[in-house]
Amino acid sequence: MRPEVYEYNFDWMLWRTLEAASKVGDGFDKEFKQMLPYIPYFSGIVEPFINLGDPGSAFFKMISEYLKNIVTAHEQGKKIVMTTFCFSPTIFYAMDIVPVTLEALTVLASVMWKRGATEYMDFCVELGFTETSCSSQRGCLGAYLAGMGEEIDMLVINTAGICDTNANAFSFAKTFLDKPFYSLNYPASLNDPEVNQYHRDDFKALIKFLEEQTGKKLDHDRLGKVLDEVAKQEAIVGEMEELQRLVPSPLPVTYNFLIYGGRFFFAGMPEYTVILEKMATVVRKNATQGRSGISSGREKLRAFMFYIDHYALNLNLWNWFDKREINHIGSILSRSFKDDSPYIKGMEDVAYNIDSTNLDTMIDSIAMINSRMPMVRSIRGPYDRPNMWLEESLALAKMYKADCLIYNGTPGCRNTWSNIKLIARDLEKAGYPTHIMYGDAFDDRVESWEATAARLDEFINVRGLL
Amino acid sequence: MMEIFQEAASGITNRYITDWVNSGKKIVGYTCSFMPPEIFHAAGILPYRIRGINTESMEIGDTYYGPYVCTFPKCLLQLAGEGKFNFLSGAVISTGCDAMRRLDECWRKTGEDYHGSIPGFFHYFDVPHKTDPHAMKWFENEIRKLILNVEKYYNVKIKEDSLRESISLYNHGRTLLWEVEKLRAHENPGVSGTDAFSIAVSGTVMPREAFNEQLEQLLADLPKQKSSSKKSGKQNKNGNKRIMVAGSINDDIELFRLIENAGSNVVADNICFGIRSEADQVNMEDDPISALTKHYLSNSVCPRMFGAYKQRFDLLQTKIERAGVEGIILQNIRFCDLHGSENGLFERDFEKLGIPCLRLEREYGPLTETGRMKMRIEAFLERMEVKQTDSGGKS
Amino acid sequence: MSIVAGCDVGSLTAKAVIMEKGRIISSALLRSKTNPQLSAEAVMQEALSKAGLSMDDIRYCIGTGYGRKNISFVDKDISEIACHGRGARWLNPGARTIIDIGGQDCKAVRLDKDGNVVKFVANDKCASGTGRFLEVMARLLDIPIEEMGSLSSKSTAPITLSSTCTVWAQADIVKYINSGHKIEDIGAGVNSAMAKRAAILANSVGIEQDVCMTGGVAKNEGVVQDLEKLLGKNIKKMRKADPQIAGAIGAAIFAMESLNGRS
Repeated sequence: MRPEVYEYNFDWMLWRTLEAASKVGDGFDKEFKQMLPYIPYFSGIVEPFINLGDPGSAFFKMISEYLKNIVTAHEQGKKIVMTTFCFSPTIFYAMDIVPVTLEALTVLASVMWKRGATEYMDFCVELGFTETSCSSQRGCLGAYLAGMGEEIDMLVINTAGICDTNANAFSFAKTFLDKPFYSLNYPASLNDPEVNQYHRDDFKALIKFLEEQTGKKLDHDRLGKVLDEVAKQEAIVGEMEELQRLVPSPLPVTYNFLIYGGRFFFAGMPEYTVILEKMATVVRKNATQGRSGISSGREKLRAFMFYIDHYALNLNLWNWFDKREINHIGSILSRSFKDDSPYIKGMEDVAYNIDSTNLDTMIDSIAMINSRMPMVRSIRGPYDRPNMWLEESLALAKMYKADCLIYNGTPGCRNTWSNIKLIARDLEKAGYPTHIMYGDAFDDRVESWEATAARLDEFINVRGLL
Repeated sequence: MMEIFQEAASGITNRYITDWVNSGKKIVGYTCSFMPPEIFHAAGILPYRIRGINTESMEIGDTYYGPYVCTFPKCLLQLAGEGKFNFLSGAVISTGCDAMRRLDECWRKTGEDYHGSIPGFFHYFDVPHKTDPHAMKWFENEIRKLILNVEKYYNVKIKEDSLRESISLYNHGRTLLWEVEKLRAHENPGVSGTDAFSIAVSGTVMPREAFNEQLEQLLADLPKQKSSSKKSGKQNKNGNKRIMVAGSINDDIELFRLIENAGSNVVADNICFGIRSEADQVNMEDDPISALTKHYLSNSVCPRMFGAYKQRFDLLQTKIERAGVEGIILQNIRFCDLHGSENGLFERDFEKLGIPCLRLEREYGPLTETGRMKMRIEAFLERMEVKQTDSGGKS
Repeated sequence: MSIVAGCDVGSLTAKAVIMEKGRIISSALLRSKTNPQLSAEAVMQEALSKAGLSMDDIRYCIGTGYGRKNISFVDKDISEIACHGRGARWLNPGARTIIDIGGQDCKAVRLDKDGNVVKFVANDKCASGTGRFLEVMARLLDIPIEEMGSLSSKSTAPITLSSTCTVWAQADIVKYINSGHKIEDIGAGVNSAMAKRAAILANSVGIEQDVCMTGGVAKNEGVVQDLEKLLGKNIKKMRKADPQIAGAIGAAIFAMESLNGRS
């Protein structure tokens, strides 16, 4: 890593960037326009977000708060946990623990900084971590391994056996940083009675671990409050995701990013609820007017990213969709599968419910939420088994009237690269033009965004979709 | 004597497999060392560790698997698609790692396209990645499910007594393998690393009775050695360096030959297919299923058991001391992030203890890159030759 | 007379060095031929004839490089890792970290204070970050490989290039050429991608000063300067001889030591 990179801590630098970004929208429009030339490095991301209006600037404020929590955690006497986006942060908030979500922070660096998180990725390789490992963890992880972030107190994951390369990154970090580690480990199926019992036992053991690490007992009232907040949030999300089924979809293309981003950062925290409410206002208005959420107001096509999104600089993927008047109707990261979500029909087996009646029901609820997070929900078992990747992708594609399906991941994704060809074949058979992106969602050195976009255009053109 | 083991280790099939099939008995393949073969033995079925040896092309492997995937499962799939495993009547796919567990789907889809390439009994064996009590319960349940499915499909009954007998037979094999391990670790290694590895690989593809018998005979025929009193500080009389090989899966004895031919003795290894922890016996006092559960899950020998680095480090250190290891070759198949990354940690920690390490990335399958690997290995042995004056460097 | 020789047969080029009393009296560098033996003979012949010597005059010869096992006339062969270390040491006695970028791979070697190899790493299984990569890119840009290095200092807006795959990088380069990017900006991007690759290796062996570069790419000042920036360390220039023949020099020095009964 270049010596200059050691000058500033990664989390601190992200926080300052976001803090500044969240404030530029506070003034008058003219002030904002005047400001942009002074922030050439991240005006590309700031401008579209501020142009989203209230939800955009609230989103910046929320992330800024999240980062501030990390940077100031120890001052406030809180513990920091290193975790993954597949893990709902709800339990951490309920126990006053500050999460550092590796992939989410890698995304922030990728979309905001020209160099992304690539130097930190390479730093991991210098330490002996394989360069073929997933870039989503490697970016942020490199910074923390280099000691360029607040000290991590513990690590908690739930990806063992689902995304081994993910679990392996944390396992490496556990040894390297020499910190306590807890790994929730999910069986291949989602909801047999014995699996539910297992989820429960495993989660109880996790709570015990967290209690030991923090020296504090789980506060039942607080857990109840957080869960109620989650329920409130999911109700708003559910409403928006129901309206998303309309043609044209009233959701601006970046909304799915805000929804899942918010969930990964702040599920169960009021900051997220505020954003969702602001978003819902926009969506409802668009829906009443029969207007598409796309900037031009027109929707020509609906695409479903059936794995993850691409986090090129300035959210170029979403710009690409918006410019071509294609609506992005979500990815594997988008939906939470709460029992009262409208899209659950036909997939009731996958659903979870929130029941804050007593401690046992609360633990059950939170264990269920966690086991329904992206990836750990639908790529845990063979892809063509009930409730798994194929069934879910087809159900969502149908429900949301997708015109085409797009796979995007990273070369580090051993799991999906081991069956993407199979599922793509099945999706094509089911009548969905399916495109496989070969780049890296977090590292445009693997394939530049321009090349990726050219291939997407080629797909759209060759398949006669537009 | 050694020829029997070398033959068994060098090809997909061997004379025992042929005889077994000809006598009308069943063979079931499995893919991971966390699967207890005793279960099949107890059912009168020959458990066979599925291998990718002698793969010549990869068009089938590459048709179903994507590009960023380890070549080991691709080779298995290739051979399956070519019908090389048609002698199997069943297969058990374990959740060894991401790429290995997807062999389930890849093989099933290959079976649809290449008629007859998929065995009738096809079981997905879900192995936990930790050893907490509730994970043990899950694993025990998986073992019971496997037994039920075997009983149903093959119309057999796996009785507790026969399971106990099978465990005892496999335990005896472990004892014998341990004798081999002692011989190769001797000051003057009585068995080469290549031979020891051939024996270990053979054990996974031969009927256990025949394996034990042949190995007993081999051990009886080998010249007796005075046991070495020194625990460490061993040095080879022939000047060869004493090497340990660890890392990704391997069943190719040529890898060992390559390392030994460069001027070393592989006196220990820690590799899937090799002799890893054969000293640990399955407990005969316990109820057999619970004993198998504990034995196969609690040995966190593979980095798929996340967060258990310390145990594996300790295991390597024991082996180093026992065999007087002077240097470690830490190899990994490209895209094997689990071993590849752990090798980085091993390198850091063992170099700190003054044991030279070489990290080597390779492909599984035909050793097409022998030139490149040989160059590295030779340079490594040269480096070990010279006593360094300081270690220096920041990492 | 105690004349010794070192012969380094690499994947792209073959090098020979003839030494007497610790001084280079002749050297040669040729493009590799179809097999290592032919390359070795040709390059050795050239070095010998430059010095007016014949093979009989050579008291001891050591072979190294990719093709070293296939050279008939050498007395012994030693890995290129050790030879590059020793050669760099001769070029600069203070050398502790050596970055060697050859035709087929890229290596970083750390030496102890006596010049013994302490640790080495090499890139695996990929042409990116090697001389071959640079050659392919130079061909795409239609400029002689010798001029690649000078492009970096001419560039004002270097492109960002995929640093992981030669095949994909080619596709990117073609795209940049077609979209009218300046040759120097593309060339600078290529050099910087090379440097990034090498920096990861150098950092993973752990850097000690002096840092030196050997191999053909050491002559590309663009890569060298980028590496200095990435490592935050000065890379010592070695003017005593062509850094591309460092391996052959090392082999010749080992030959001398063998002759003197040392080592």
